Amino acid sequence: MVDLLDRVLDRGLVINADIIICLAGVPLVGINLRAALAGMETMGRYGLMDQWDDRTRLQDAARQPAATGQGTCNPEEPTGSALRTYGV
Amino acid sequence: MIQISEDQSGLPAPAPEKYDQSGRYVYCVALTGEEVILEGAGIEGRSVYSLVNRGVSALVHDCSPQLYRPSGQNAAAEWVLAHHRVVQAAWSRWGSVLPMVFNTIVKGDRYNAQENLTKWLEREHRSLQNRLEAFVGKAEYGVQVFWDPAAVGAEVAGKDPAIQMLEKDIENSPRGLAYMYRQKLERLLKKGLEARAVQEMENLIQRLNPCTDNFRVEKTKDGGDGRQMLMNLSCLVCNERLPGLEAQLDVLSKREGFSVRLAGPLPPYSFC
Repeated sequence: MVDLLDRVLDRGLVINADIIICLAGVPLVGINLRAALAGMETMGRYGLMDQWDDRTRLQDAARQPAATGQGTCNPEEPTGSALRTYGV
Repeated sequence: MIQISEDQSGLPAPAPEKYDQSGRYVYCVALTGEEVILEGAGIEGRSVYSLVNRGVSALVHDCSPQLYRPSGQNAAAEWVLAHHRVVQAAWSRWGSVLPMVFNTIVKGDRYNAQENLTKWLEREHRSLQNRLEAFVGKAEYGVQVFWDPAAVGAEVAGKDPAIQMLEKDIENSPRGLAYMYRQKLERLLKKGLEARAVQEMENLIQRLNPCTDNFRVEKTKDGGDGRQMLMNLSCLVCNERLPGLEAQLDVLSKREGFSVRLAGPLPPYSFC
């Protein structure tokens, strides 16, 4: 999930500022959001992290579609993001 | 499951009249001319649809012309996840996307938001198309390399004659002197580890470079559980190169004291 946060909030294409909504002339990035999201424990409390991490954990060596989870937060991903760890 | 339905009329979903829905939240630009609606798939359950311009489209939802500001962590986390899910779905369906940074909302001025966005797509068409085509068959991966400083430190100490000598001196010295020697040893060890870290990083970059189409060196973070993050990379990797990258990481992870974390495939957030 942390991998995602940094990327969604800070990375990506920026449209020229004159047609997008900005904060005092500065294109907004996730400043306030980052502060709000600092604190993984809180996210854990809402169960969002568990759902996300479970879905991104690699089941086996092959890339399989992630299993559909319960609840509205987890639509099935056609290609799930996989997380692999080596040597742990 | 995100249901994608074909919209024959090409019109956006009607906005509720009560609220100002003149803004357009943009999730990404995609390599497609398809007119689609993703019902309820967006932030706060908004319906997302494509705004098409000659084979390059923006995925948007209608919103009030103001930024999303979180009132609590739950809302913010859900928004981030929703944003990514839409980007991911578009990527899966059309093979190439340029994700927008979160909270990209087009407003109206002389022209309405829809017109502004369409004009932007038209103005940037060639550039967007070129970049989208360049991303076909590629994905972003996060590569994090960790090491156990104690394990590597022991190796560094074992190879450094100065440290070996100090260790002997510490054994054979009275307490006060031993304390000084220990401090000196720790300094030497620290320097040795730093030098080794630089060496490992250079070595690693040399090995990984041919396995990637592009990469960015990111800030390292706290590894937790005693491990130290040595290196944090965002890599853009075409499908053909992925096995080579995995092979290098596998070799690295088999070294004493090293471990690797590979996250992905992700849409190319870091290479827009």
